[in-house]
Amino acid sequence: MSADGQDAIVIRGLVKSFKKTSRRKEITTLKSELVRALTFQKREAEPPQLIQALRGIDLRIPRGKTVGIVGRNGSGKSTLLKLVTGIYTPTSGTIEVHGRISALLELGAGFHPDFTGRENILINGIILGMSRAEVKARVEQIIEYAELGDFIDEPVRTYSSGMFMRLAFAVATHVDPEILIIDEILSVGDEHFARKSYAKMNEFRHGGKTILLVTHGLSTVETWCDLAAWIDGGRIRMFGEPRQVVAEYRRAIAAAEAEAEKTGTSALSAPGLALPQTAPAAAPAVSTRLTAVRLQDVAGAAPATFTAEGGVTVLLDYDVSPRALARFGVDVMSADGRLVFSLGHDAGELEGKGTVRLSLPRLGLADGVYEVLGTITRPGDPPAPPHRVALSVTGGAKAGVLRPVHEWKVERSS
Amino acid sequence: MIRNLKELYQYRALLWALTARELKARYRASVLGFFWTFLNPTLNMLVYVLVFGVIMATTVERYPFFLFCGLLPWVFFASSVMGGTTSVSDRKDLLTKVRFPAQVLPATVVATNLVNFLLSLPLLFLLGAMYRDWPTWHLLFLVPVLVVQTFFTLGVTYLLSALNVAFRDLQHIVANLVQMLFFLTPVLWNVETIPPVKRWGLDLTAEQARDVVLYANPMAAVMNAWRDIFYRHEVPAWQPLAAVAGISLVLMWISSGVFERRREEFAELV
Repeated sequence: MSADGQDAIVIRGLVKSFKKTSRRKEITTLKSELVRALTFQKREAEPPQLIQALRGIDLRIPRGKTVGIVGRNGSGKSTLLKLVTGIYTPTSGTIEVHGRISALLELGAGFHPDFTGRENILINGIILGMSRAEVKARVEQIIEYAELGDFIDEPVRTYSSGMFMRLAFAVATHVDPEILIIDEILSVGDEHFARKSYAKMNEFRHGGKTILLVTHGLSTVETWCDLAAWIDGGRIRMFGEPRQVVAEYRRAIAAAEAEAEKTGTSALSAPGLALPQTAPAAAPAVSTRLTAVRLQDVAGAAPATFTAEGGVTVLLDYDVSPRALARFGVDVMSADGRLVFSLGHDAGELEGKGTVRLSLPRLGLADGVYEVLGTITRPGDPPAPPHRVALSVTGGAKAGVLRPVHEWKVERSS
Repeated sequence: MIRNLKELYQYRALLWALTARELKARYRASVLGFFWTFLNPTLNMLVYVLVFGVIMATTVERYPFFLFCGLLPWVFFASSVMGGTTSVSDRKDLLTKVRFPAQVLPATVVATNLVNFLLSLPLLFLLGAMYRDWPTWHLLFLVPVLVVQTFFTLGVTYLLSALNVAFRDLQHIVANLVQMLFFLTPVLWNVETIPPVKRWGLDLTAEQARDVVLYANPMAAVMNAWRDIFYRHEVPAWQPLAAVAGISLVLMWISSGVFERRREEFAELV
């Protein structure tokens, strides 16, 4: 119990499994049940096919904080939100919620197309948990916010999709919740209304409301949230400072993509599978590994940022024992996880410790933060998890990925 | 059961808002609008009168009025049960998007049809007036009979709506069963004209046969009570009605239990 009232939501040991409904061989219908009953067949003792969406979540959402949830499709984010909202019931574990919840999972629940905007506000407001009097008191406010003008007294079926969303968003945010649950719907309507809805969210944040937000917009999490949780394969993989969580999440995605590129299969191909661990594996007795990956400029210093026109040297410190063939690789990934280039070098037989240098006389990348992934492999071995370092570039192109060697020339014909 | 009813009361604002909307939505965008409330049962009645009153020449006096006394409450029951069966399984939009008290849905259907029934009663009195048949003080019994029928309908609806989420075949079965029950219930015919049964090894007097009909089919007892009130101007026999009330209580208790137990999976299965 959060007797001190510090936590808005307390989740303990939350497990949710779904029954697989599509049992190929026998779809359960009344008919099949009857036939079985009439022919005195025993129900085959097949174990119920369960899909575990959440495999034990422990999470405390502090009061007044904005918490972002990131994770891949199928990792269990939306299931978690539906459980917190009370749409689903937990298979096991508990959820304590302190305060009135408004969930913006799907906008316009219960809107009837034949009714006017005004009539729908009333019914939608009541569905969202307001009393009739509360809705009546806020109707004008909602109408004003939705900016529908005369359309408010027209049937909703005549609305454009943007108008529909605006009205639905207006109702949902005027419920005056203590806890707001949002699933990927901040971009409502046009530029103007999107800004307005962001402003509304900010108002909630500063008004001391608790916000639980699921989004794939990682920058939103970084800039908006006080805390971030990363759900992976139905478990909390990381919970803490948003920047760190997002960085770790990006690393894992990049690692999975690199793996996919090399082996052809990865966790990315199956929705809901956990991403590979990015922590460097423990050194085995027989080791062919990198101990560090470092970046230097041409002067041999290690600056915080590199310039696009300057050079960079990637140093791979290796440790090979016993003597073995070694192949080194350096991949550079952009912040959105795309592979910019991939270089490899067969170094022949090596033994003991040493350093391999890869020199790039001119970096030639656009501004931004990149990731350098260093690898060492013995031919025939599966690829080991790469070593990663961040590479920050300034002073180059403001957009794109590359800044090629180039020259501008103006030729006047007259 | 008590909890179910209590929660229903707790969500009465929602129930009322949804009912009002259903009623409004029913005739919105139609030219005749609200008049369909009167037109539907009238047209229905005219067909039955043509078939049974004219072609088959029934001996029942004031047959159109007699028919209407049974037809209106029957429509209330049949529409509630058929609409109620799919009331939960059809509302994926509500159940999976917001936290929504599912038990409001079947109740909304019953409430909508109840209001519709009450609104069509003036039509019944109008038809009676054409036969110079005026309502008597027996109208007081409308309240208990209506309570019994509503309660029974609710019980049936709750059970069917909960089961239909997992077994969608049910809605088709129900449609057929309701149709059959219509002919087995004294809507078109009069319980007093049931002949003695002397076949299949049975030997029942007319009176015994009537009791079998009234006690075996709860709706028969209710329909007969409506006839007593509107048509025969008698105090309805309380024994069959008490039996229905008892059945309704047990049914409601079972239905609430089933509904409560299945409620958790509604959001996952609809």
